[in-house]
Amino acid sequence: METFAPIILFLFVLFLLLGTGVWVGLALLGVAFVGMELFTSRPAGDAMITVIWAASSSWTLTALPLFIWMGEILYRTRLSEDMFRGLAPWMARLPGGLLHTNVVGCTVFAAVSGSSAATLTTVGKMSVPELRKRQYPEKMVIGTLAGAATLGLMIPPSLTLIVYGVTINESITKLFMAGILPGLVLASLFMGYIAIYAKVSKSYNPQPEPAMSLREKLANSRFLLPVIVLIMVVIGSMYLGLATATEAAALGVIGSLALAAGQGSLTWKTFGESLMGATRTSAMVALILAGAAFLSLSMGFTGLPRALAAWIADMELSRFQLLMALLVFYIIIGCFLDGISSVVLTMAVVEPMIRAAGIDAIWFGIFVVVVVEMAQITPPIGFNLFVLQGMTRHEMTYIARAALPMFALMVVMVFILIAFPELATWLPDNMRNRP
Amino acid sequence: EKWDMPLAYPATNFHSENAAVFAACVTSGSGGEIEIVTHPGGSLFGGADIKRAVQTGQALIGERLLSAHANEDPLFGIDSIPFLASSFEASGKLWDAAEAAIAEALDGQNLVLLYTVPWPPQGIYFNKEVNSGNDMKGVKFRAYNAATAKLAELTGMLPVQIEAAEVSQAFATGVAESMVSSAATGYDSKLWENVSHFYEVDAWLPRNAMLVNKDKWAGLSDDMKKVFTDCAATAEAEGLERAKAYTTKTLEGLASNGMQVLKPSDELKADLAAVGATMTEEWLAAAGDKGKAIVDAYKAQ
Amino acid sequence: MIALGRGLRRLLDGLYFAGGMIAALALVSILAIIVAQMIARWTGVLFPGAANYAGYAMASASFFAFAHALGRGAHIRVSILLNALGRHRRWLEVWCFAIGAALAWYLARYAIKAVYWSWKLNDVSQGQDATPLWIPQTAMAAGAVLLAIAMTDHLVRVLFLGSSGIVSDTVEQSHGE
Ligand code: NA
Ligand code: NA
Repeated sequence: METFAPIILFLFVLFLLLGTGVWVGLALLGVAFVGMELFTSRPAGDAMITVIWAASSSWTLTALPLFIWMGEILYRTRLSEDMFRGLAPWMARLPGGLLHTNVVGCTVFAAVSGSSAATLTTVGKMSVPELRKRQYPEKMVIGTLAGAATLGLMIPPSLTLIVYGVTINESITKLFMAGILPGLVLASLFMGYIAIYAKVSKSYNPQPEPAMSLREKLANSRFLLPVIVLIMVVIGSMYLGLATATEAAALGVIGSLALAAGQGSLTWKTFGESLMGATRTSAMVALILAGAAFLSLSMGFTGLPRALAAWIADMELSRFQLLMALLVFYIIIGCFLDGISSVVLTMAVVEPMIRAAGIDAIWFGIFVVVVVEMAQITPPIGFNLFVLQGMTRHEMTYIARAALPMFALMVVMVFILIAFPELATWLPDNMRNRP
Repeated sequence: EKWDMPLAYPATNFHSENAAVFAACVTSGSGGEIEIVTHPGGSLFGGADIKRAVQTGQALIGERLLSAHANEDPLFGIDSIPFLASSFEASGKLWDAAEAAIAEALDGQNLVLLYTVPWPPQGIYFNKEVNSGNDMKGVKFRAYNAATAKLAELTGMLPVQIEAAEVSQAFATGVAESMVSSAATGYDSKLWENVSHFYEVDAWLPRNAMLVNKDKWAGLSDDMKKVFTDCAATAEAEGLERAKAYTTKTLEGLASNGMQVLKPSDELKADLAAVGATMTEEWLAAAGDKGKAIVDAYKAQ
Repeated sequence: MIALGRGLRRLLDGLYFAGGMIAALALVSILAIIVAQMIARWTGVLFPGAANYAGYAMASASFFAFAHALGRGAHIRVSILLNALGRHRRWLEVWCFAIGAALAWYLARYAIKAVYWSWKLNDVSQGQDATPLWIPQTAMAAGAVLLAIAMTDHLVRVLFLGSSGIVSDTVEQSHGE
C-alpha cells in the first residue's frame, strides 16, 4: 500500500488547486512541483524546464494552432448559411426532417474543424433559428445539436486526438484516419434516434417544407461545394499520404483563407481576429500540455504509473473490465474537466496500463475521444452546454436533459467500438498498405 | 540512494534490456546502497534530453545515442561516418582508437563514460534492385540529418526529409523509395509491407553510451566506482553479443516476411566505398587533429 | 500618482498585447515554414531543419501569448466554487492569483536559468539546423516572465482594487474543445 501513498497526496493537491479555480495548466505544474520536492532529490526546476521545453517546441504539436486557426477563419465566413441551404432540401423528406441538418451539418463541418465548440457555434448559429422558425420541438433542436457537435472531436481533424497523439507519441495521421468510421457510425446513431423520435413522439409536428424538384435540390447543393473541396484537401491529402497531419492543417488554413476571400468575408479585421483568437486558444492548450509534461516527469520519478500498471495487471482484469473501469472513470472526471485536460492529466498513468493490457493505442485514442466527448454535454462543466447556454438562453439543466439521449447513444457507441474494433483500426491500417 | 536512469528506447529493445541488467548488477553489487531504477521508452526524459539531463544532474545516469550530439563536437559522430568501419569487428577497433578522446570530450561536459554498445549495422532499403551507384541515381532517399543529406548528394539520390514517425507512411505512398537504417528498424516497423529490398552494406554502427554525472561520480568511494566499472565491462561485452544476436534475428525476420535481404554487389560496394572516403575526408576537416589521430590509429590496426 | 498608475496600466496592457502579437507572428511563421517544407519536398529541394524551426516557432507562439490569453480569460479553469462564492469570490481569486504568480515566477526563473545554461554549456540543436538552443529558449523565458508579471499585476489588482480585470470567457475557453 506504501507505493500508493503518493496517489493520495497527488489527488489532494490536484483537487485543491483545480477545485479552487487555479488555471488547469498551472495546477498541473503545482502538483508536479509538490511531487518532485517530496519524492526525488533531483533539482525540480531544471528538470521541469527540460521537459517543458521539449513538449513546447515539438514539431508534431504545430498541427494544433493551425487547425484552431482554420476553425476561427471558417467561423467568420458564410459557411454555415451555405451548408444549411445545401443540406436542408435533402433532409426535408426524411423522418425527422430538418432536425437531420443538425447532425449532417455537424458531421460535415467536423471534417474541417478540430473543435467541438466551433462545430456547435458554426452549425448552430444557422440551424437553431431556422428550426425554431419551423416549430421543431425545442428539446430536440438543442439536444441533437449538443450531441452532434461532439463529432467535431471524433471526425478528423480533432484537437483532442492531436493532444492525445502528442502525449503518447503516436502518429496523428493514423489517429485521424481511425476517427472517421466511428464518427460516421455515431452520426448514424443520432440520425436513427431522430427518425424514431419523429415517428413516435406526439410533440413532433413541424411545419412541412415546400416540395422541391430534384433539379432545385441539386442546384442548391452547389452551396456545399466549397466545404466539400476543403474536406478533400484536408482529409484526402492525409489519406493519400500526400501530407502529414501538420501539412494538412497548413493546407486547411490556406484553403479556408481562399474560401473566405472567395465569399468576400476576408478582411484585415476578420483575418486579425481569427489569428489572435487562434493564438490565445492554442496558448491555452499549450499551457496545459506544459503542465502535463512536468506532471508526467514528476510521476515518473515517483514510480507511481508503473506501480499502478502493475497493480492493474495483478488484478487480472480482462480487457473489457479495464475498459469499463476507464469508461466510468472518464465519465466522472468529465463532469468536472474539459476533454483535453482529462486526456493529458490521465495519460501518464493510463498509458502504461493500456499498453500492459495489450490494447491498441490508436484504437484507445478513439475510445478516449468518445468518452471525453460525453464530458462535453455533462454538467456542471461541459463546454457544449456553456456555448448552447450563451446561444439559446436556456438553463444549463434544461440543455443537459435535452442532450441526455445523445449521451446514452454515445455510451452505446463505446460498446459498438469494443465489439467492432475494426471500425477504428481498419482505415489507418489500410492507409498504410496503399500501393 | 535511488538513481533514476532515463532510457530512450522501449523496455523490449535490446539496449534497454542490457541497461536493465546493468542497473540490477550495480544495485546488487552495491549491496542496495545505490538502487538504479530504469525508465525505458522515454518515460522520464526523451532521447534528445537525456545527455543534458545527466550533465546537469537532473538524472544521475542515462543512456544516449552518442552520434546524435555530433553538432556539439564532431568527435561524437565518429561512429557514424559512412563506410569507415563496416562490421562489428571494425566498429570495435574504431571505438578502441576513439574511446579515450571521446571520454575526454565527455569529461569536459561533466560526464563520465561507462560503456558503449553498438546498434546493428546500417544497411540501405530500396524499393528496387540496386547493383551499382548508377542504379541509385534519382531515387527518393530519406535524409534525416546532415550526414544522410550528404550521402544522398554524393550518390546522386534525391533527398526527401521525413520524420521518424512518418517513415512507413512515406514508403507506402512513394514519397520515399530508399533509406539508410538497420535491419532492426525495418523489422520493428514491419517495413516489408512497403519496401522490397534490404542491402547489407553495413554502412556504420552507431553506438549508445551509458553516461554518469561527473560530480556525483567524484563523490563515490573507490569500491563503489569499481562496482560500476565491473558491471560496465560486463554490460559492454554482453551488449555487443545482444547486438549481434539481434542483427541476425532481424535480418532473418525481414527475409522470412518476404523482403529480399541481399549482400551488395562488388560494384555497389566499390561505389559506396568511394562515397565513404569523401565523407571521411570531410569529417576529418571538421574534427581537426584529434579526429585525424583517431582515424590514423584505427587505420594502422 | 494617478497619472503614474494610468501610465503603468497602459504600459502593462501594451506589453501583454505586444506579446500576443509576437505570438501571432510566430503562428504565421509556423504556417510559412510548413508550406515551405512541403514545397521543398515536392520540388526535390531540401529545407534543412524545417521541423526544428517550426518547433521553435511553436514554443514562441505559446509562451508569448500566455499573458495575453490570461487577460482575455482564455485559460481554462474550474470556476464552480468561484461562481458559488458570489461576492466573496475576491478572496478565492487572491488565492488563485497568488498561487498562479508563485508558479509563474518559478517557471520564469528556471526558464531564464535554462537559457543561461544552454549558452554556458554550448548546447546546440541535434537537428540539421544546429541552432544554439539559448536563442529559441529566450522566447520561452521572455514569455514566462511576461506571464509572471501579468499574474502579479492581476494579484495586485484583486488585492487593492477588488477585481482582477479578467472577465472569464467561457466561449473563448471552449474554443479548444
Ligand atoms: Na473534427
Ligand atoms: Na462535463
